[in-house]
Amino acid sequence: MMSAGASRLAPVAPAVCAHCGLAVPVRLVREGEPLQFCCSGCEQVYALVREWGFDHYYRLVDRQRGTIAPARVTGRSFEDFDDPHVQAEATIQVGSDRCRTRLYLEGVHCAACVWLVERLPAVLPGVDEVRLNIGSAVADVTWRPGRTRLSAVARALDRLGYTPHVHRASRAQEARRVEDRTALARLGVATACAMNLMFLNGALYAGEYSGMAAPYVALFRWLSFAVAIPVLLYSARPFFQTALAGLRARIVHIDLPIALALAVAFVASAWNTVLGSGPLWFDSLGMLVAALLGARQVQRSAQRIALERADSLRGVAFLEFARRLQGDAAAVEVPLAALAPGDRVEVRSGELVPVDGVVLSGRSSLDNAVLTGEAIPLAVQEGDAVNAGATNLGARLVVRVDAVGENTRVGALLAMVQEALSRKPAFLRTTDLLARRFVKVLLLFAVATGLAWLHRGPAVAIERVVALLVVACPCALGLSVPLAVSVALMRAARSGVFIKNPDALERLRKVDTVLLDKTGTLTEGRPTVARWHGEDAVLRLARALEAESAHVVARAFQRSYGHALRLVRSVEQVVETPGQGIAGCLDGHDVRIGNKAHVEATGAAVPDDLGRLARTLVDEGLSPVFVAIDGRVAGIAGIGDALRADARSTVAALRTLGIRVRILSGDHPSIVARVGAELGLPADDALGGLTPEAKRDVVSGLVAGAGSAGAVVMVGDGVNDAAALALADVGIAVHEGTGATIVAADVVLTREGIAPLLDILDGARRLRGVIVRNVGFSLIYNTGASALALAGLVGPLVGAVLMPVSSLTVVLSSVLTRTFVHRVSRGAARPLTAEAEA
Amino acid sequence: METVFVLLPLALLIATIAVGLFIWAARTGQFDDLDTPAVRILFDDETPRRPIQASASAACAEAPGAVPTASQLAKTSVGTTRRVPE
Repeated sequence: MMSAGASRLAPVAPAVCAHCGLAVPVRLVREGEPLQFCCSGCEQVYALVREWGFDHYYRLVDRQRGTIAPARVTGRSFEDFDDPHVQAEATIQVGSDRCRTRLYLEGVHCAACVWLVERLPAVLPGVDEVRLNIGSAVADVTWRPGRTRLSAVARALDRLGYTPHVHRASRAQEARRVEDRTALARLGVATACAMNLMFLNGALYAGEYSGMAAPYVALFRWLSFAVAIPVLLYSARPFFQTALAGLRARIVHIDLPIALALAVAFVASAWNTVLGSGPLWFDSLGMLVAALLGARQVQRSAQRIALERADSLRGVAFLEFARRLQGDAAAVEVPLAALAPGDRVEVRSGELVPVDGVVLSGRSSLDNAVLTGEAIPLAVQEGDAVNAGATNLGARLVVRVDAVGENTRVGALLAMVQEALSRKPAFLRTTDLLARRFVKVLLLFAVATGLAWLHRGPAVAIERVVALLVVACPCALGLSVPLAVSVALMRAARSGVFIKNPDALERLRKVDTVLLDKTGTLTEGRPTVARWHGEDAVLRLARALEAESAHVVARAFQRSYGHALRLVRSVEQVVETPGQGIAGCLDGHDVRIGNKAHVEATGAAVPDDLGRLARTLVDEGLSPVFVAIDGRVAGIAGIGDALRADARSTVAALRTLGIRVRILSGDHPSIVARVGAELGLPADDALGGLTPEAKRDVVSGLVAGAGSAGAVVMVGDGVNDAAALALADVGIAVHEGTGATIVAADVVLTREGIAPLLDILDGARRLRGVIVRNVGFSLIYNTGASALALAGLVGPLVGAVLMPVSSLTVVLSSVLTRTFVHRVSRGAARPLTAEAEA
Repeated sequence: METVFVLLPLALLIATIAVGLFIWAARTGQFDDLDTPAVRILFDDETPRRPIQASASAACAEAPGAVPTASQLAKTSVGTTRRVPE
């Protein structure tokens, strides 16, 4: 049925990719073809989606407003997924013959993905069900080990453009989920009981005014006693547990006065129920527990978003597999644990080196930035030592395994991170500091009340003291902080800042020093065209030619200037000379790009001014690349790791806030000094040549030295920063940082650049304001209520009215304040609402 | 008015059942993912064209990369779903 469409589907301008909808590079446009693709990944995915009959996917995608990134198909065999030890980390047995495995999928972007992924059982025999969580991009796959292999499922997902990873954090996540579910059940019970208590006690209050026969009063009192029991024994258990644990550790926690009030209210009311006279506090008790648990639940769910996202990012383990070579056979993908020293592994272009070892054959360049902070790739050849975690930028290498896993350099660094995390001191929260004073004052008030009413007999005195302890319960205080924090967490998450540890916000209220890593944090971490000298027409030809290559320099051009779409009409005779450059004929012009020898090979000479420019570029730490058009050298590009666009303004803004900014880098001191100078930092604040251990020690020294002067904030992206991140008062991992930094950091950025740093500081300051205001409100309420109780004016009804009023003030004050400026996050896998077609 | 002696405990009993159901729902993880079900409900109930079972299983058994090219595919089906950026 297709052939008829040839005329209708004649080349459209501009050509769009049939899979992802992005523009198709000119050289890939196939004249006369109805379907165009921007890359081979998209083409493969499109073919598979059609083959499996899942065309409906594109109709769903069309309804989404989001954009799809070009599909990435790794082509891995995923044989390592069949290893029982690898599976065990994320698999549970369901019934006798089925397993459920949790996989994290890269590339999940919208509701259509949920549809596509969940259709897999239709085409994969042995797969019973797939459920994808769109928020965390985690899929639960139910499959039959007897009928299929996990690697087959993984291959299918990979070929659809979703790179699967065994979800390593699923144990911790499951444990947290169980906790969350229990907390939700407790909240549900407390809320249901609190409402029923309110009805029952409402009847009693009404009865006091209009008169109620004794049997009815007794019924209502006993029923409210019965309804209050599950509140105290089930829902309120966490308060008692924390208060007791605090007491054992000699810490006064905010839960202590709360638990005290609950216990006193319950015992006194139960006693009065049995006696058949005296005030009942059951309704206040129920409301208190429900409100406090509610606020904590809100904070939990806000925190869960950040934690699960961090888990997912961490699910992409830093090193997952190796391609082992045995004899002359093709490489087999095995888990790292299966390797032994002496084995040979293959490292393909673009992959991470999985082990520490020695190159047996091949020549390439390695990017060590995440390990050492060095921005310039290192050339390696036969006999050179390589480290696990380096990225192979060039050709295929064969490496002899010397050390695997924990025994590698990167393994030692990761162990150091764990050790540093365990050393991080506990943080004393504002509420806990207040709680200590609060308890003291409360006890003083209680004694005063008891003494003041002793002249009316012990029964009256006890009743007054009970009233005081109940109404003085710091409910508003307990509500205010979790609510304000959760509002801040949610707003922050929406603006691309995931706060794993909410204490970080409190620590950030006063910042003394901000320490910045250089490579990948202040800079892009990847080579880009940092300088260009030449005419626009020359640049256009250069971009068009570099679009044809996958070389480091070509990628720098592609990264800096984006897709080379329709720059020229024809590209012919493209020749790449390794180690020299690239040449081609574009629109009839002879274009050569490369080093001096390469452009001069056809007789062109580099003019003096460009030669001088080249030398200044080298002095700046950039590699000069010449562009010759028709035998004339007409342009020069400086390729290097350029500063991020927002680096200068962010550093300047931090300094105007009175914060000391320092650079901690593993790169050569001269390069670091130059970056420091460019940012306007004093020479001794730009430290280079630091090992990961040295970074850690600088941070711990500063943390110990700064003390009360303010927090020490560390910002980084590499494994070499991770230990420093863990030890800093607040560690911040930048966008696309390695898994180790996500584990170690308190805050994870999912927005590019370091400008979010300013948002975080601003948000923390505003949050501080909200907390101070809320604490003020609640203290005023507590003092007022205590004074009334001391005067003997407080009964259960007054308590039941005062408590919600004070709580409501705090809730409104927390929710209505803008703690984080809302910004649209980029590239995050946020759910987009699928819109029904109008 | 005496009926409250029966009705109130009865009402509380019903409330207990409701709370029990809520606890069951919470404990079986039905509140774990609040985003995806909202999206899933919008999918139409159309079953995709089922491919022949043999070809599907062959597709996942064989080495990756052996997918037919788009041009081959295009000969058998029309690109009705091509997207045009807005």
